[in-house]
Amino acid sequence: MNLLKNLLHTTILGLSLTISLGASAKDSFVFTAIPDQDESQLRERFDKVAVYLSKELGVDVEYIPVKSYAAAVTAFRNDQVQLAWFGGLSGVRARSLVDRSEAIAQGFEDPFFETYFIAHASTGLKNSVDFPREMLGKTFTFGSKGSTSGRLMPEYHIRQQFDKAPQDIFSKVGFSGNHSKTIALVQSGAYEVGAVNFQVWKKDLAAGKIDTDKVSIIWTTPSYPDYQWTIRGDVDQRWSAGFKKKVTKALLDMKDKDLLASFPRSSFIPASNSDYDTILNMAKEIKLID
Amino acid sequence: MFRFDNEAIGYQGVTILNGISLDIKAGEKVALVGESGAGKSTLLMALQSRNRTNSAFIPQNPGLVRTLSVFHNIYMGSLSQHSTFYNLLNLIWPQKKEIALISPIVEKLGLIDKLFDRSGELSGGQQQRTAVCRALLQGGEAVLGDEPVSAVDNHQSRIIIQALCDSFETVVLAMHDVELALEYSTRIIGIKNAKIALDAPTNSLLRSDLDFLYTA
Amino acid sequence: MRLPTAYCAAILIFFTRLKSLSTFPTARTVSLGFVVVAVGCLVFADLSITTLDPWTEMKRMGMGFVTPNFFAVTNIGKVMIQTIAFAMCGVALGAFFGFFLAQVFHIALVRWSCAFVRAIHELFWALILLQILGLTPLTGVLAIAIPYAGICAKVYAETLEESQPAVLQVLPAGSGIVSIFFFARLPDVWVHIKNYTSYRFECGLRSSAVLGFIGLPTMGFYLETAFSEGNYSEAAALLLLFYGLIASLRFWLKPRLLGFYLVAAPFLLGEGASIRFDNVIRFFTSDIVPAPLRDHDLALTQTWSSFADWLQMLLIDQALPGIIATLLLTQIALVCTGFLTLALFPLISDKFFGKLGRTIGQLLLIVLRSTPEFILAYIFLQLWGPSMLPAIVALSLHNGAIIAHLIGRYSQSLVLRADSPKGFNLYGYEILPRVYGQFLAFLFYRWEVIMRETAILGILGIATLGFFIDSAMADIRLDRAILLILITAILNIFIDSLSRYFRSHLRLSQQIESS
Repeated sequence: MNLLKNLLHTTILGLSLTISLGASAKDSFVFTAIPDQDESQLRERFDKVAVYLSKELGVDVEYIPVKSYAAAVTAFRNDQVQLAWFGGLSGVRARSLVDRSEAIAQGFEDPFFETYFIAHASTGLKNSVDFPREMLGKTFTFGSKGSTSGRLMPEYHIRQQFDKAPQDIFSKVGFSGNHSKTIALVQSGAYEVGAVNFQVWKKDLAAGKIDTDKVSIIWTTPSYPDYQWTIRGDVDQRWSAGFKKKVTKALLDMKDKDLLASFPRSSFIPASNSDYDTILNMAKEIKLID
Repeated sequence: MFRFDNEAIGYQGVTILNGISLDIKAGEKVALVGESGAGKSTLLMALQSRNRTNSAFIPQNPGLVRTLSVFHNIYMGSLSQHSTFYNLLNLIWPQKKEIALISPIVEKLGLIDKLFDRSGELSGGQQQRTAVCRALLQGGEAVLGDEPVSAVDNHQSRIIIQALCDSFETVVLAMHDVELALEYSTRIIGIKNAKIALDAPTNSLLRSDLDFLYTA
Repeated sequence: MRLPTAYCAAILIFFTRLKSLSTFPTARTVSLGFVVVAVGCLVFADLSITTLDPWTEMKRMGMGFVTPNFFAVTNIGKVMIQTIAFAMCGVALGAFFGFFLAQVFHIALVRWSCAFVRAIHELFWALILLQILGLTPLTGVLAIAIPYAGICAKVYAETLEESQPAVLQVLPAGSGIVSIFFFARLPDVWVHIKNYTSYRFECGLRSSAVLGFIGLPTMGFYLETAFSEGNYSEAAALLLLFYGLIASLRFWLKPRLLGFYLVAAPFLLGEGASIRFDNVIRFFTSDIVPAPLRDHDLALTQTWSSFADWLQMLLIDQALPGIIATLLLTQIALVCTGFLTLALFPLISDKFFGKLGRTIGQLLLIVLRSTPEFILAYIFLQLWGPSMLPAIVALSLHNGAIIAHLIGRYSQSLVLRADSPKGFNLYGYEILPRVYGQFLAFLFYRWEVIMRETAILGILGIATLGFFIDSAMADIRLDRAILLILITAILNIFIDSLSRYFRSHLRLSQQIESS
């Protein structure tokens, strides 16, 4: 009689599931990063960072990849990661959700970050100093819905210029998911115009991934503060007194050219929560944050 | 034991038999005869619903669980005599005690080598014998059988009917074989045109007295 | 905006009014009605191909598929095992609880709860559970188990209800309901339950793979990466391995081995962070409370007027366009699925094709129905850009292949007279009239499934309800996301009851696996 045996097995499954889930908790220092570009690159980059931090801090350090900006913020909020490489907007969101969390380091380039508006050659749009209002009626893609350089900044400037929601300005509005994808989509003509993180543009350009006959920069936003490392407030209690300082020091002391180039940043410099007040205000103004 | 007083008997709201008056007493061996479709099964079901607690039933489709073994199908006749826990235990691991109890019954009907075969894989005759075994195990004061020997040979038929008559005080069997009916019963009830057309002690009847039941 | 609103309202009123008709229209009229509705929907649907040069990318994809690279994904074995493990645990728990719920399915509360949990797609469950439990194995397991419990409960209960084994009549009085259940009722339906559960496991594998798209460590995780980075050889390898997994199910999913799998699976899910109970509490007491009410004085009228604004914004600006797009897309996809089914089923029927033709047909159908619609839609989106077209094609191909498979098999069982016509005459005069009832029954069953998938495709950027849910999740506005998910569930339950209504009035067979 197989059927009762099968039922028994299922009951055993329930028990062993509970046991195995209970046993899976372990105490590594875990960090994540917003998935802003091609994921294989991210993995390569952050696995190296994990090795570096582990050596510097003397504890197990683990990187877990996530599929969305929101997942990174949620993992930070739920204390499943204690450190994260956030963008401006995701960092502001995360810190508003977790008491006593702090921005501790940013890239040397991050206080003066920029967003490039890029367009397909068929639009005839050229690089200009003034905001290119001719993009009215074209198709437009942001990056991820939660991105600073790919969503918040472009949407902020578009609303400033037209005083309308993007849906009412463009014939079609999309969210590519990440910056590499935005470039690929505009280059292929799937969208006519897009907004992209200037560092990713430069890096992909240097890597020969961009065909400048097909896609080019048409406008550059004023500069703004962007990426930063944010850490939870309770790490000192969980690991050791002064742990947060140790992490900050390890990040600021990162000198390995290879490691830095993969971000790409020339070095890391100190950061504080108040550096990102402008981002918070802009996000509130276009109602991305209540 | 079973008593009807000028009643209409039906099935799912359709009346099949009219004006049935009947009194079957303990100890009687009754044969129900009549053309197929005359209403023998309907009458048997009505009898069963009169006295379910004390009677075992052998339906025409043998009422087996095809995915269970012969052993388990027979054991089902004694479900009410054991605790639920014991029943489930016996379902997973057939208990020695129950095998010992069931084996002689099965042996008598020649099914012993099929005891742990799935009942769905047996021939029609073997399934019928399994159903008879279940009724024998269940026991009680009466057995109601709907053509319990329709798919077995003459020799087997006699063994089965004899076994039923030995084990149960009261026996009511619907039968298509008139010879067998005359041989084993003490009373014959014939059904025709939705009525009881004949009800007499067997020893008062001749073979030819039944012929009218089967002609238009 | 106003036009499609009016149109969708008209559709809804039309469907609701059907109840007041004295004679129910025939299958032919109903079919025609659905086609007319779908054609009307086409007027409002955005079907453009926005990619300027889809052919280059399609060529690259085609090249990738003829040169699959099985070594591109590191730990591919581990990824496949985890995909199976999530499906195994999720389906086992779902079937286990579904089985018990089926015993009490006559209780209205149970019936409604089951309808509710299965109206929410696995991906939405996963998005919700990610907020509560975070990136833990339990998130993936429960995302499958919860809706599957609701589905299994319904199907098991229906199966048990339909079975009235003859043996019940002969059991001695006082046998006890538990004994009767295990001796008489369960063995009678066990084969159906087993077959249905193994079919569920196949669905579970698809669900498990798709959950990777939002971050669980299953095949979808790597598939998404490979596709979005244009590594088509890697994507092809992953897809081929996935087909292999499903096609080989009957070789490795043996009843004898099931016990072993079930015990091993929980340990193969991989590790995740620990679950914190305060997160669970916070989710229920704070996160899902509408923002205007959260930490505000409920006695103030100010609070409630801002809540009214919030509600209006959400309902008018998001739910309404989401519902319209979802309905439009669902109705078009449903009718396209129907046409595709009618075109595809002869491919696997011995009434039309020889052995070679049927083998090719089988292969095509297996590939189409094994690929989750979510992944199909994702591929077409990459090729054609975001409009309703990729979603319609993906939904029709996947669902059409599933129904064509069932109808094709059914048509094999038909016995025709020796001098029956051939070719199109055979199709039109002999086969189609005989399979049409079955066909409509299957199609109505899939209606609700298509609608659930349509909503989910919003995550990929098509403006159905899923798009707004995904946006709310991206902004960590769980109050909005939950309300929109509730609306999606209600819409789904509505379609489900409508489908049941049509099936019963057209007297279409109920003996069909629903999913």
